[in-house]
Amino acid sequence: MLYYPQPIADLIDGFMLLPGIGPKTAQRLAFHVLNMNEEDVMNFAKALVNAKRHLHYCSRCCNITDTDPCRVCSDSSRNQELICVVQDAKDVVAMEKMRDYNGLYHVLQGAISPMEGIGPDQIRIPELLRRLQDTDTAVNELILATNPNVEGEATAMYISRLIKPTGIKVTRIAHGLPVGGDLEYADEVTLSKALEGRREI
Amino acid sequence: MILHKLEVHDFRNYSSLSLSLSPHVTIFVGQNAQGKTNILESVLMLALAKSHRAGKDSEMIRWGAESAFVAGELERQQRRSSLDLRIMKHGKKVRINGLEKRRISDFIGHLNVVLFAPEDLMLVKGGPQARRRFLDIELGQMSPQYLHNLAQYQKVLQQRNNILKNSDRPDKKMIDTLAVWDEQLIEYGVKLIRKRLEFVSKLQEFSASIHQRITSGGEELTLQYKSSLFEDVPSVDELPSRFQQQLADKQREDFRRGSTSAGPHRDDVEVRIDGKNVNTFGSQGQQRTAALSMKLAEIDLIRQEVGEYPVLLLDDVLSELDEMRQLHLLESMGEKVQTLITTTMTYGLEELMREKAVVYRVQQGILLRA
Repeated sequence: MLYYPQPIADLIDGFMLLPGIGPKTAQRLAFHVLNMNEEDVMNFAKALVNAKRHLHYCSRCCNITDTDPCRVCSDSSRNQELICVVQDAKDVVAMEKMRDYNGLYHVLQGAISPMEGIGPDQIRIPELLRRLQDTDTAVNELILATNPNVEGEATAMYISRLIKPTGIKVTRIAHGLPVGGDLEYADEVTLSKALEGRREI
Repeated sequence: MILHKLEVHDFRNYSSLSLSLSPHVTIFVGQNAQGKTNILESVLMLALAKSHRAGKDSEMIRWGAESAFVAGELERQQRRSSLDLRIMKHGKKVRINGLEKRRISDFIGHLNVVLFAPEDLMLVKGGPQARRRFLDIELGQMSPQYLHNLAQYQKVLQQRNNILKNSDRPDKKMIDTLAVWDEQLIEYGVKLIRKRLEFVSKLQEFSASIHQRITSGGEELTLQYKSSLFEDVPSVDELPSRFQQQLADKQREDFRRGSTSAGPHRDDVEVRIDGKNVNTFGSQGQQRTAALSMKLAEIDLIRQEVGEYPVLLLDDVLSELDEMRQLHLLESMGEKVQTLITTTMTYGLEELMREKAVVYRVQQGILLRA
């Protein structure tokens, strides 16, 4: 049974391909598009196609980019001695929003997970090793900022075991209490992690 | 703590029910399939927001009704509060003193209960899995960190086993990652074992004295944590290196089996009466009594943790004990612990508890105070 004319049905199906969008939301978005002016719709459609066509991975840090090397890698004002290793391009955005980190990145595009068939070679670890071996680079610290779950932790440990012998300093970001929160509102697990990671002052 | 009143609507076979409970012993007597256990289940819902037997919450909604409702009036440290819970076809809503709690975890733990049901006999009779489950559930209730560490351990174990199972895959780099999984397995595993050792030694203390009381001093119950990692319990600092050693020793075997053969997921609790393993050498009656003693020890453990006795729910287990043991059980518990009992037996018990107990007869979802 067809409730809508074919073009609207196609549009609804298209929106439903996106994560977090079910039939109701897809329907609302589709009808909203019908009410938009044509120019905006054209720009939106172009943006979608462009994002897919003109983006690729940076040959150095493996982040998504429209230039190669990416803007971060080609910015000579950044600290070339520091690389922050993250799982995902979105993690780079989170770090950049902080405006406090001035080093480079390496985007792994995933974490080691045998159950999903993802080993060290399925993520961008070989690229990281090549990058560190490159004679042009003068990296002296690698910050491992993978997620604090078992896969992220395994990935961080694996990388640290590989890099440690080369003499490059390897650090892991801390996990614990959120800043600005009260101790009494912290959940027990976070609190016990924070206690484990306590340091002398 | 005392649950003074219980009210249910459209719950299982009850359309509407409101009853007051004795601060000591309340007995629900009736034939099979009349709805005795349903009453205990509703109390369990107030405590844990989870049933011990329903696969889906919606099973508890009375046939044809839209939602089920359970409410209770609780006294805890001389303060009264009301708890209620509405079970809908999808999801449930919980309130304390009429205020809705957004997170179920804010609701759980206001009422503490210990339930002893016929399936708990498997605690002694069954395999190691039943005893590990018991440890994990009890420790998880008392410590969210334990629950977290257990979940992490199981995830790491799954990942590690996946490497072992697929050791013939062309990607040799995957096998190189075994060491980093081992490292995490040891980290979380040691935390689990430490908590379990602590718990078993406390449980041993309490259950041994309860067992003595139930058997009128006749039998000595001992519990011992049996680990796949060690024969004699090493010091806490030694645990990680023992675990590491075992993983190394058994690596070849693990690859062959495609799973991990050492670790807390293979451990057990040995239950002995007068030095003999009850699981293999105990009589039916001994197995029952040992299981009961372990569950009743929980009552003391909870009291130690939260400062008050929980409510004890005994589901059809009295018939499993001889009259002597029943008497000792109810005498030792009824005074200090509020107890709700279901039973099919009408003789003996009533007589026994006439002065103190409130007795309800249950028939086809209708309760009559005897």
